[in-house]
Amino acid sequence: MYTHLTTAIYFIYVCLGLIGSGIVLLFAMKFNHLHKMKKSRQYLQKHHDYFKFIQSHMNGNSELPLPPGKLKELEGRVIQQKFIEWIDQFKGEFREKLIKLCHDAGFVRKDIKLLDSLFYGRRIAAAYRLGGMRAAEAVPRLLQMLKSERYTPLTIVVARAVAKSADNEEQLKEMLQHLLRHGKPIHHMAADIVMETRLDASRLLLKLLDDENQDLVKVALVAMWGQAIPEVVPSLDRLVGAEQTDVRAEAVKLYLSSNPVLKDDTIKNLMADKDWEVRATVAKSLGSLHAAGSIPLLRSALKDPNWWVRNNSAESLAKLGETGFEVLCQIAMNGTGVERETAMYHIERAMLQDQEHHKIDQMVAYNKKKLLYERYFGTTERRPVRQIAAVGGDYTA
Amino acid sequence: MLIYGLFAIYYVMTVNTIYFSIMAFSFRNILTIFRRSAYSKYNTLSGSELVPSVSLLVPAFNEELTVIENVKCLLTLNYPTYEVIVINDGSSDNTLGVLREEFGLEPLPNPEIRNSIDCQPINAVYYNPQYPHLYVIDKPNGGKADSLNAGINLSHYPLISSIDADSLLEKDALIRMARMYMENPEETVAIGGDVRIANGCLIENGAVKEVSLPRKMWPMFQAVEYLKAFLGGRIGWSSINGLIIVSGAFGLFRKDYVIAVGGYRGGYPGEDMNIIIKLHRYMLENKLKYRVAFCPEAVCWTQAPDTYRILSNQRKRWGRGNLKNMIENYDMAFNPKYKVMGLLTMPYNIIFEALNPYFKITGLLALLGYTLMDMTHWRILVVFGLINILSGYLLSVGALILEELAFKRFTKVSDLARLLLFSALKFVGYAQLGGLWRIQGHIQFLRNNNSWGTMTRTSWKEESKAAKTA
Repeated sequence: MYTHLTTAIYFIYVCLGLIGSGIVLLFAMKFNHLHKMKKSRQYLQKHHDYFKFIQSHMNGNSELPLPPGKLKELEGRVIQQKFIEWIDQFKGEFREKLIKLCHDAGFVRKDIKLLDSLFYGRRIAAAYRLGGMRAAEAVPRLLQMLKSERYTPLTIVVARAVAKSADNEEQLKEMLQHLLRHGKPIHHMAADIVMETRLDASRLLLKLLDDENQDLVKVALVAMWGQAIPEVVPSLDRLVGAEQTDVRAEAVKLYLSSNPVLKDDTIKNLMADKDWEVRATVAKSLGSLHAAGSIPLLRSALKDPNWWVRNNSAESLAKLGETGFEVLCQIAMNGTGVERETAMYHIERAMLQDQEHHKIDQMVAYNKKKLLYERYFGTTERRPVRQIAAVGGDYTA
Repeated sequence: MLIYGLFAIYYVMTVNTIYFSIMAFSFRNILTIFRRSAYSKYNTLSGSELVPSVSLLVPAFNEELTVIENVKCLLTLNYPTYEVIVINDGSSDNTLGVLREEFGLEPLPNPEIRNSIDCQPINAVYYNPQYPHLYVIDKPNGGKADSLNAGINLSHYPLISSIDADSLLEKDALIRMARMYMENPEETVAIGGDVRIANGCLIENGAVKEVSLPRKMWPMFQAVEYLKAFLGGRIGWSSINGLIIVSGAFGLFRKDYVIAVGGYRGGYPGEDMNIIIKLHRYMLENKLKYRVAFCPEAVCWTQAPDTYRILSNQRKRWGRGNLKNMIENYDMAFNPKYKVMGLLTMPYNIIFEALNPYFKITGLLALLGYTLMDMTHWRILVVFGLINILSGYLLSVGALILEELAFKRFTKVSDLARLLLFSALKFVGYAQLGGLWRIQGHIQFLRNNNSWGTMTRTSWKEESKAAKTA
């Protein structure tokens, strides 16, 4: 009995000790934080005139002056923080001047030294600030850090610092290799990181499209979204037939975003691709390519098991003039199941959207569609009535 | 009697030791969380096409006072591509009317509802092309789960986020979650956000402008409780992939997996816990690598119940939902096939959460009886009480240290003192009421009483006015 009681009493003592220390720690942390905040405000106030001076002389020919006096550690950090904010906001000559100022003030040197600190927290904080200061000389050391680290959320912080600071494409490529070696499908994140660079990324991305490493190809494909340039087309031609599904899908998306001329056979093959993303992308692009010859393909795609393919096909049909619109009306009247649902939705959508026309040709196009609509559905009593499809029919969205 | 009393003492020590271990995991991760948050800028990401698109689902039942402010808040998030789908779940007040009036919404003639998940037929979908990212579904009352399922059926994007209509998201909350998702998109099936109490805060234009603690007693206890649960518990549980719940107030999910598990389960409260258990089960049974993550830097502010009646109803509902989930999924407990969920999370939740009040109350009664038979044994009773209080208080202090290490949301020393005070006061009545409400919830479950109870809302403007005058 007493043994049990003694164990319990020890437990109580331990709890009491930990509670006491915890409360002391809490107040110490709170006071320390408030003190730092107060001091930071004071330093910002103290250097107010200096900041004003820098802002007003940024476009002059002379070099920017260093912060006045001997700076205390926190004081230096406050000024450095302000410079980093400005570096993020400005571009071109202003930014270069501020980067140089960070070097001259010794901020870069101090932080590079901190990259060798025993404390991980200090190393990461230094990496973040070095990225903010676009410190090119820190890149080799940052890459080393990236190479030796296991993948954590903080790997992204170091990778961004490299992307911001890199002064040649090789460094960016090495960063991507280290970032992607963990086997995580983080191509979108990697693309976002690469776009932080101050270099012209398009040359690097072009090279990456021909790289053996499929991960790098994927990063290049997603990073180039919406900005396909003619030089890319040969590589894309090859990648459209790639084995890896996601590479093929991304390549098709990028390829079609450049509004290419497509052969009927190519369209047919792509619309029969086993990957729904490819089919959906092609279906979407056919509307804006005004490929009226593809109407039969789009019509059959309204039965596709994937929602996106059906939806994009209907959207494209609605864009393909009266012929496309009439196909939708026919399906809404005579079709069944999901194809009918999709057609009806897009008919109503087209009628709603097209009402706001400003140009005469738009008005004519709308009126033609309206006539077709009335021919099929007449007045309100013949309007298509939505029918709820069987439950559990669509798992593709 | 003595043996049972001793058993209860060891029970309390064990439950708290497990909780300390979970909190140790939270401590292990807190600096990474702090650094991840402090050294990330979202200005590029929040304008990037590379970020996945999200459908925000907002079930609303009698929310006419708060819904406009909340929808405005959601329409102005820092996020590139998203849509807001409000689901009016047969409100008896004018929730639909105020929404239609404010946003000029008109019914869509043929709304495209995919029937991915079973849900009640809807009345109409309202839309205004001037607000192209806002949809309002009107449907007969069918509960929160049914509303979410209806929202999923209308949603257009691969990620869904459930948000309570009485909650306000911080502008960066969604992009912070998306960043976490993008760090490991293949394995992430759900991410929970941090829910904090908005009572007492200054709210302007649908955003929390000044963080402050609630002035009323009940929300204050809940503020302490939420800090402990979210920072002390969920960070730790998520680090071992054993998180059993993503709060219904704010969570992000992969839509394909939510559909694969059949969507939200209706008919009972606790749908937020249920969907997570189902996701764990599905992923483990199909041997898919996955994680259910927690993102404490993505914050959602919610109105906490401020009267005894509303709070007790809410807690009874939670008790009912929890018991239902445990009964439904008892087969997972102690089953190595379900890894951390089977060997730790489920047994912990059954033995140390659902059954907690029974062991504590019967243990107390046993020791009380033993002491009454021989008053010289009063020490045992005191020891039992002290273990309960001190270990619980230590956990609260730990949660406050976590808050101070990573977030420092409360800037005043007086706030810290109040949090410490209420963490202690919690053991004089509030903790016991918590146990009682849970038992009452279980009784309601056994009696098949499944009413939602009363839940009244205060307008955010009223809250804000009160905060300004304080």
